[in-house]
Amino acid sequence: MSEGLVGMQPKPDKGRFGRQNRYLDMAARGGLPFAILAVLVYGTLASPVFFTTGNFVNVLTSMSIVGIVVIAMTFVLVVGGLADLSVPATIACGAILSLALQPAIGTAPAFLVAVSVAGLTGLVNGLLIGYAGVNPIIVTLGIGTIVLGIVQAAVGGVIVYGTDPASAELVKGRIVGIPIVVIIFLVIAVIGDFVLSRTFWGRWTIATGGNYSAAEASAVPVRAVKAGAFVIVGVASGISGGLLGLTLQSARPLVGTGYEFSAITAVVVGGVSIMGGYGSVPRAIAGLAFVQLLTNVMVLQGIRTPIQGLALGALIAGAVAADIALRKRGVV
Amino acid sequence: MTQRKPALRMEQISKQFPGVKALSGVDLTVRYGTVHAIVGENGAGKSTLMKILSGSYTPSAGTIEVDGVKVQMHKPADAQKLGIRMVHQELNLVPDLTVAENVFLGRMPRKRGLLDRAEMSRNAALVLRELGAAIDPDTRLGDLTISQQQLVEIAKAYAAEPRIIVLDEPTSSLSEHETTTLFAMLRKMRDAGMAIIYISHRLREVLDIADEVTVLRDGCMIGSRSIEGVTPGDMIKMMVGRDVTDLFPKTPSVIGAPVLEVRDLSDGEHFSGVSFDVRAGEILGLTGLVGAGRTEVARAIFGLSRVTAGSIRIQGRDVVITSPAQAVRAGIAYVPEDRKGDGIVPHMSIRENISLPVIRALARFGRISVSADKALAQRYAKRFSIVPPDPERRIGLLSGGNQQKAVLAKWLATKPSVLILDEPTRGVDVGAKAEIHSIIGELVAEGIAVVMISSELPEVLAVCDRVVVMHEGAAAAPMMRDQFSEERIMALATGEAFA
Repeated sequence: MSEGLVGMQPKPDKGRFGRQNRYLDMAARGGLPFAILAVLVYGTLASPVFFTTGNFVNVLTSMSIVGIVVIAMTFVLVVGGLADLSVPATIACGAILSLALQPAIGTAPAFLVAVSVAGLTGLVNGLLIGYAGVNPIIVTLGIGTIVLGIVQAAVGGVIVYGTDPASAELVKGRIVGIPIVVIIFLVIAVIGDFVLSRTFWGRWTIATGGNYSAAEASAVPVRAVKAGAFVIVGVASGISGGLLGLTLQSARPLVGTGYEFSAITAVVVGGVSIMGGYGSVPRAIAGLAFVQLLTNVMVLQGIRTPIQGLALGALIAGAVAADIALRKRGVV
Repeated sequence: MTQRKPALRMEQISKQFPGVKALSGVDLTVRYGTVHAIVGENGAGKSTLMKILSGSYTPSAGTIEVDGVKVQMHKPADAQKLGIRMVHQELNLVPDLTVAENVFLGRMPRKRGLLDRAEMSRNAALVLRELGAAIDPDTRLGDLTISQQQLVEIAKAYAAEPRIIVLDEPTSSLSEHETTTLFAMLRKMRDAGMAIIYISHRLREVLDIADEVTVLRDGCMIGSRSIEGVTPGDMIKMMVGRDVTDLFPKTPSVIGAPVLEVRDLSDGEHFSGVSFDVRAGEILGLTGLVGAGRTEVARAIFGLSRVTAGSIRIQGRDVVITSPAQAVRAGIAYVPEDRKGDGIVPHMSIRENISLPVIRALARFGRISVSADKALAQRYAKRFSIVPPDPERRIGLLSGGNQQKAVLAKWLATKPSVLILDEPTRGVDVGAKAEIHSIIGELVAEGIAVVMISSELPEVLAVCDRVVVMHEGAAAAPMMRDQFSEERIMALATGEAFA
């Protein structure tokens, strides 16, 4: 029959950019590891303290708190949910509640309640976005502002301090030289990667982001999947906020400010598409590692904060532009 | 026929992509005042040739003359400047603008630096009237039906007063009746002296509208001739390089008990009081003009839209279906009309697409069984001879026919008792079409009940055991195979003989 003929057909989409396409493909896949390597080499040459265990442990620790949010944010981008801007509020929720409830119910229960409330915030986001179909940016901005307001009102706008020093010791503790926070981050990363790449939920997430109508027509519960991504971010930010509060032993309502930006930057720099349907947890973490190492080098070099911001802003804009350009060319 | 002046002459056009020669030594001459059809299977090189003509690709070798002058085109704007206009299969229109604004998009008339709306509306009305399209230029484009939008797209190309208009599968979203309207438009344009290039899979249409036909196969030109004396059989032979004795082979099958019974189904908007049943091993055709409500009925049965009244029974049991997941559990599968929009997730592999509706069943404690996932895709890729046979390929890169086979595979993996096919062979080449028909034949032989929605009458007549014709949301009583005739179906579809 005609299989032979059909099989020989040119692939215009693929052929269009010909050889360039292959380079673009290589750049899309190998660009980030190369960039990380470049920063490592530059940092080592430029600063004597950069390539030391102490510095790397510091970078890893500061990476871990935001890293937990990055893992979850990957789900939101992949599912086609744009971004979750309520992260500062859910982090504040996690930090303040886990410290404020400590005297009354103990450290572990307080932590659990904090994470649950953050998860509940994520659920409200998810229901409004997945089921009511409201724009994610508007919903998460609005719900985030409301939750932050409630938290501020509840603690009266003051700083909450920890009452259980043992809990701080626990979080700051190390196992074979690795801080507990880093271990928690790595465990969550492994779980996140497993869920996204190996489970049916992950497959549903990618399909929903890739083509919502086709996923819906393929019996994928698209609304639940979309809502789920925001619940994941809520829970993860709650954990992240709780760990942050326990580490600092103090929490103010604005403790989570900027984390949404850092998380989105990392995910986008990692090459996860803001248009949905494509991305993985390891990629997002690679993006995070690159941003963190770059920031670390800039700090060690004494580069002023505004310049650092400029560099990171340029990075996110460049990454998004590259994503769009690559999509147009059918790479990735 | 008198030899008119050529509007376009392409000589020895070749296009080399890395690893693939898409076109080799193609000659094409299109004259003013003629309709020149280009036919060929998917992948024969039609779209590459048209992309060269529209300036999207530059040829690796060969020359192009427009109106007797040798030209070089590097971008679509170059082609437009030379008076070449494309009407694409996918509409390039802005739904939120009016018809007039769309027609003059990019070159709206201005007065003292401001938009001259009255002038624009007047001109658009003039163009539409010239083409015989009854469309109000001040309507919002998105409020028109897809087929009306298609006419606007053609009016837009026409209004630019081009030398050459290229139409790529213009009738794929039109019903037979609307196709007649379109052809009347094309004849007016031809008689106004334009050169029209018409790309289509539908050979009967080509015979109807074209003055000359060029056949491509595997990137080579097989022949170019005047349409007089050419039969569909001749064209098919040239296209596939073999005789296709039976365009639509019908496999006989044993018809059993009713599997799906639909009673008085209404959605309060697109259709009302629709009743029919399909039996095991039977192919029931659901036909009618575009907009008659066929797709809406299918989507409602599958839980993609709500019904306000009526009942659905599957194998004698009443079922309530409000989501595709419930429909799948009830044993219903639906191959949608809009393959790119509802059928495939283009960035996922063939394997991931095939297992999507059943992925949960392939997972234990949430974890997908890699071997089961692979085996499923491999089985269907082989059974349906999907090309390329590698299930890890991204589905978006496949030809339309192979995508459709993958979508069919996806639904068979759910082991349905009823399969609803919405225009299963639209935009699919002749070879793949025959394959899809033979797959459908195998399925009914296995006892699956099939509902096939199709606008293509020859297909309906050849493949179906019974036909239900819809007209403006109502369904006529089913017609048995021995009562089939194109005239009767058309009479019902246009409402002339509707009870």
